[in-house]
Amino acid sequence: MKKMAKSQAKWVQGSIAFLWVVLASAIGFHSTAMADETCMSPYMAKIVGQEDYVYVWTLGVEGLGDEQDKLVTISVNPDSVNYGKVVNVLSVGGRNEAHHSGLTDDRRYLFAGGLDSNKIFIFDVHTNPSKPVLHKVITDFVEKTGGMVGPHTMYALPGRIMVSALSNNVDHGGRTGIAEFTNEGEFVAAHWMPTDENLRGAKKVGNIADGYGYDVRALPRRNVMITSSFTGWSNYMMDFSKMLSDAEAMKRFGNTVVVWDLHTRKPKKVFEVPGAPLEIRCAWGSNHNYCLTTTALTSKIWLIYEDDAGEWQAKAVGDIGDPSKVPLPVDISITADDKGLWVQTFMDGKTRYFDISDPFNPKQTYEHEIGSQVNMISQSWDGKRTYFTSSLLGNWDKTGDMDEQFFKLFSWNGQELVHEFTVDFYALKLGRAHQMRFGAYSLYSQKPNSTGTLLSQH
Amino acid sequence: MHFINRSIKNIKVPIIFSAIILALVLYALRGFTADLAESTNHAVFGPGDNKEGYESADYQTNSLDLQQRIGKEARLIDFVSSPPLGLPPVPVPADNPVTTKKIQLGRKLFFDRRLSINDTFSCAICHIPEQGFANNEIKTAVGVEGRTVKRNTPTVFNSAYLEKIFHDGRESTLEQQVWSPLLARNEMANPSIGYVINKIMAIREYDNLFEGAFEGRGPTMETIGMALASYQRTLNAANSPFDLWYYGKDEDAVSEQVKRGFKVFAGKGSCSVCHQIQEGFALFSDDQLHNTGVGFEDSMGVEPETTRVQLAPGVYTELDTSVIKSVSRPRENDLGLYEVTEDPNDRWKYRTPSLRNVALTAPYMHNGSLLTLRDVIEFYNQGGIPNELLSPLIRPLNLTDTEIDDLAAFLKSLTGGNVSILVEDAFAAPIGDISADDPNWAHENKLEF
Repeated sequence: MKKMAKSQAKWVQGSIAFLWVVLASAIGFHSTAMADETCMSPYMAKIVGQEDYVYVWTLGVEGLGDEQDKLVTISVNPDSVNYGKVVNVLSVGGRNEAHHSGLTDDRRYLFAGGLDSNKIFIFDVHTNPSKPVLHKVITDFVEKTGGMVGPHTMYALPGRIMVSALSNNVDHGGRTGIAEFTNEGEFVAAHWMPTDENLRGAKKVGNIADGYGYDVRALPRRNVMITSSFTGWSNYMMDFSKMLSDAEAMKRFGNTVVVWDLHTRKPKKVFEVPGAPLEIRCAWGSNHNYCLTTTALTSKIWLIYEDDAGEWQAKAVGDIGDPSKVPLPVDISITADDKGLWVQTFMDGKTRYFDISDPFNPKQTYEHEIGSQVNMISQSWDGKRTYFTSSLLGNWDKTGDMDEQFFKLFSWNGQELVHEFTVDFYALKLGRAHQMRFGAYSLYSQKPNSTGTLLSQH
Repeated sequence: MHFINRSIKNIKVPIIFSAIILALVLYALRGFTADLAESTNHAVFGPGDNKEGYESADYQTNSLDLQQRIGKEARLIDFVSSPPLGLPPVPVPADNPVTTKKIQLGRKLFFDRRLSINDTFSCAICHIPEQGFANNEIKTAVGVEGRTVKRNTPTVFNSAYLEKIFHDGRESTLEQQVWSPLLARNEMANPSIGYVINKIMAIREYDNLFEGAFEGRGPTMETIGMALASYQRTLNAANSPFDLWYYGKDEDAVSEQVKRGFKVFAGKGSCSVCHQIQEGFALFSDDQLHNTGVGFEDSMGVEPETTRVQLAPGVYTELDTSVIKSVSRPRENDLGLYEVTEDPNDRWKYRTPSLRNVALTAPYMHNGSLLTLRDVIEFYNQGGIPNELLSPLIRPLNLTDTEIDDLAAFLKSLTGGNVSILVEDAFAAPIGDISADDPNWAHENKLEF
């Protein structure tokens, strides 16, 4: 009986592996044939050609406009008469610490999280891409997950959204987990990060298993999911200068990257990656079995890679700027050919381009100051258009004249960034511009009219 | 069937009798055994996210799992009716006698994150049970939307005895005190008293709980304060090794170093002038406010050009103050008791905190500026920080290194023997997080915009 179950399990495993191979090939085909930003889930539907809109998940600011978080839609198709303009503003109530957002695999819905209120706003972006509407609000994220706080990354798996959290409802510290929802926003499961007390079957490679979380990404053809680690609510909501001057608070940062089994959602290895590893970007090439992350506090590029023996490893491969000055690398973006990595450094407002043709030896080849502060980047699949926004966290952004809030488009010719247009989020009384996601009529077989708005609706 | 019934009937009397005897014996031993019992739960004496040794590059985690933070309910009312050794009788207001129902209701409210404008803040989010009902992880508190609170979270342990509440002593009863954090814009940020009352009335879990605890009265400003005060009034933590030695006359309860430390405490160190010990009990406070110079330094001190910032285990850098200022929001000043009296002589005066359980409540001082007990002793040993209003009680102490170590050992002997019971009970309390059944605009069908 046992034997049978075992062989059955093997058969199932084999079948799943085969399906992954098929799926991965399909993804590879789509990636080269169509255009899209480069940091999305490989399971996701792709945009054909030029993106029409960028959805900017925006933090409300007390004393500015309607003071609440909002989804701002900007027309970015040069063929539209509204090119470079805000075409829709959808306020959602409250300052939720709007942060990251992610599309479902079919790109019909955009999940946008509030790191403070723990709400997840689900927008319908497919019915009319120029005018998203609020479809549903998940208000019971903490209760449903059994205590996770701070829904961060929204990452698409087939029919699922993985939501990595940052904190918990017990001490507002960094111990946390990942939650799994359906595309309709129904809770499926909670997967807690490995701790010393319960490694959940993972191997602790170094001295550290802190149980912290931040980003989540997958490399399906290797059946791997990877998570990074930031800090808990008390820190990410605290005034930045207050935190930098608090020696106890500065001990509460993540120092780990965890490699998981994607299918079973079980952690396999806990790596020591000191100094708050944040965004994870996985390579696209069919034999590129690696992902990259950067550490916010120690300013290093780390390579998480599968070695020749099939074992996953983590290695620091380069510095970003002068780490002693804490340039604070934040968002990163890998190019579609896996040859380049854009790294934004918040404190000096710069974007830096690294040649990562040899991922073990990245070299900075270009830098450009985007503004007094910069955080997020989204690039088109061909890499010719790079969009930037300014906000990091409501209480971490710069203050006074240094607190510029913008959405900027630069074109990239392989040599330099050329400024195309800027949307000033303060002048328009919108708030702090954070994460960007692309929208396009082509995804839903729709066409815009001459003003760039929807011509026909399905 | 009849046979079984008859048999049960026959043995019923002896069983009941034995049970009563057993219950009486257990009850008699209750305080004794409970207080002496060493907790097996290592999670109750500090953050589950242990950062001990983080200063070093070879730091090793000892992280506890939140899923295993499982508690055990205690008979909290016993700590009011017979407080642990070393504490005096618990003062209970005549109009708010402590009852089990009030305690249970207050405990539920204490851990309910829905009692804030955005459903994210309970009392326990700052007063974390395993962190001495304080917060070991940050110097000064952070409230709703991350708003800055300028002072360190004080412990709730033994707050039943406070006559002056808050660091500046501005409040006088626990019943009234609870409303300050509930309404403070930088704490739980509820917009009004009525908002809190209406919200509790709309949460179905509270149906009949107030009525049951307060003879038919529902949630009101008064009953909410009474319920929360009743729970806080039970969190009395004593019967420490010091108490067993000093009041219990058990010579083996503490080490010789602790005894030497006590001599320094009551003698050369003059600590007991403010942190007083009475006949038969000790609250380790004079319930007065003093200027030690910590507040003065915060308000008037010159900012350093750089600040040492830790980036990772064993990794530090010196950051220019200008860099830190570029990400700094306006900072509220802190003038201590002056903010209550407006008497210029009261500038930078703060309440003498009790030293009971002090080993559990780092970081120290009203602004959390000192990280360890040794830092605090060294601060007083150098005579505080000079300023024209410095308390005359603060002067250089000339303690030797050994005396400092002994004093620190003494302070560590003040951790109550029943702390683990109180903390484990808190672990067993349900955390009130917003559910789909609770009031929120987003649950209503109003999303068509």
